[in-house]
Amino acid sequence: MAEIDNNNNININNIDKNNIDNAVDNIKEEIKIEVKNLNFYYGDYHLLKDINLFFKKNSVCTILGPSGCGKSSFLRTLNRMNDYTEGSKLKGEVLLDGKNIYGKSIDVVELRRNVGMVFQNPNPFPKTIFENIAFGLKIHGIKNKQFIAERVEKCLKYAGLLDEVKDKLHKNAFSLSGGQQQRLCIARAIATNPSVLLMDEPTAYLDPASTATILDLIANFKKFYTIIIVSHNIQQAGRISDYSGFFLNGELIEFSKSGDFFTRPKDKRTENFITNRF
Amino acid sequence: MTEKENNKKTEDAGNYFPVNKSYIKRKKIYNRIAYASAALAFIIGAFPVFHIIYSALIIGYKYLNWNFVSTLPSGFPIGAKGGILNAIIGDFYLVIIASCLAVPLGIGSGLYLSLFGKKRTNSIIRLLNELMIGIPSVVWGIMGFYIFSTNAGLGFHFGFSALAAGLTLGFIMTPIVTLLTEQAVNRIPASYIEGALAMGATKWQATKSVIVKAAMGGIFTAVLLGVLNIIGQTAPLLFTNYYNTGMPTGITGPGGAVGDLAMLIFIYIHEPSRILHYKAEAASVVLLFFVFALDIGMRLISWVTVKIFEML
Repeated sequence: MAEIDNNNNININNIDKNNIDNAVDNIKEEIKIEVKNLNFYYGDYHLLKDINLFFKKNSVCTILGPSGCGKSSFLRTLNRMNDYTEGSKLKGEVLLDGKNIYGKSIDVVELRRNVGMVFQNPNPFPKTIFENIAFGLKIHGIKNKQFIAERVEKCLKYAGLLDEVKDKLHKNAFSLSGGQQQRLCIARAIATNPSVLLMDEPTAYLDPASTATILDLIANFKKFYTIIIVSHNIQQAGRISDYSGFFLNGELIEFSKSGDFFTRPKDKRTENFITNRF
Repeated sequence: MTEKENNKKTEDAGNYFPVNKSYIKRKKIYNRIAYASAALAFIIGAFPVFHIIYSALIIGYKYLNWNFVSTLPSGFPIGAKGGILNAIIGDFYLVIIASCLAVPLGIGSGLYLSLFGKKRTNSIIRLLNELMIGIPSVVWGIMGFYIFSTNAGLGFHFGFSALAAGLTLGFIMTPIVTLLTEQAVNRIPASYIEGALAMGATKWQATKSVIVKAAMGGIFTAVLLGVLNIIGQTAPLLFTNYYNTGMPTGITGPGGAVGDLAMLIFIYIHEPSRILHYKAEAASVVLLFFVFALDIGMRLISWVTVKIFEML
């Protein structure tokens, strides 16, 4: 709990003892995802070591770290994309809205509908722009054509792509530029109305202008979604995130408010990373 | 060597690049030799194809007319008059029956191999498939005879018929379609299926609406190469169908046997008749034409289907 106190700016000492239960409830309500004692193995290799952290509702969190530190694997444990990796094993809990997503009663399909994901490479399907977004609705059994058309338009609008593609909705998605494709992927990810968005280095392969557009999008999306971004770009993380975490060799070195993280890192290794010594 | 010279050499070390003039000359010659041998390999490899087309045309040209492909053989010995319609129709029967078996079976196992299977089982299935491709077609023929044709013992008792031969050819075609489908699906970037799974699609949904559509061109090629492989098979037909100079009256039992271009060529060339030899050459031109037309046709169909699927 100590961590939560530090990061939430809620000083337990100032709260009346009678109200303490309420306060704890409030904090609980605000937590979207809580990761408890998460260990992840790939074959014999212990990739993630005893990760403990939480993500607050409607916040942007950035996971930083050098290549190969396990940050992408960590992100993929949050929507169980690692299930398909042969030889992987997981211990510990990931609580989404208080429910363990590795529990027995969890429907993985519903989980992934609720936790959207955007990948490093823009990966639209080889279909039309319209169908790329409609796919997410169709796989969940929605057949109402009017609803689909409205939702597609809305998602494109949220992703800031509508004006650019209005006239070519029925053209192949590959006719778009890289930055547009990535925004299409974001539109596709929000089509299923998720509450969490996972982004795996969403701007790694984009030019500066497209990167700026997507960062603006992320800042706007905070109102609707809890956003978790994996990145190795320190400047970006500082600009857009509320919370930042630092992974090194599969361990979570530090996780705190971005202000503290970038100006007063507690750990020497975090400081080294921020000042580009890795 | 004086100290001065020594110092100068050390200073120049950064800019010094030892040029081997004779090697530069030689490497250009090596380049030409490599180019020439590659070209020669192609010419030697392609020579038989041109020779087959040339000799078949030279010998068989006078029988190549509409009548030849549109009438049944007649006269004595049978085939001396008339054409090869029975064989053309028979080939259609065989290809369709074989495809009915091999296309679903081959595409299904190809998809299973690349999407659903575990690594170890996959390598066993893959090995089995490669083994099956290596089995001589005459052995397939014997298998087909025991399972489908013979009227004694266990088996389907189809007799010498189109169904028995078609199914045998289907089993020859299946491993080819399987391996090529698997390769086609493996060429699809993993990010497609990941993208679909991350949206909450089941593996089957992702396969059906993303992977199969993206791999459609490759799957068409797999089927095409399977068909091209069986269309020229002769040995399996010896044991399961043999030959029919007329039209089939069914696909099993007596009257179920069909003509076949490869068998026709095989039989005609064994007859002591000059006319039949010429007709066999003409028939091989027709067979080559069908292979060519099938290739172009399937490519066209695959191109159109890929375009249509992109719209969906």
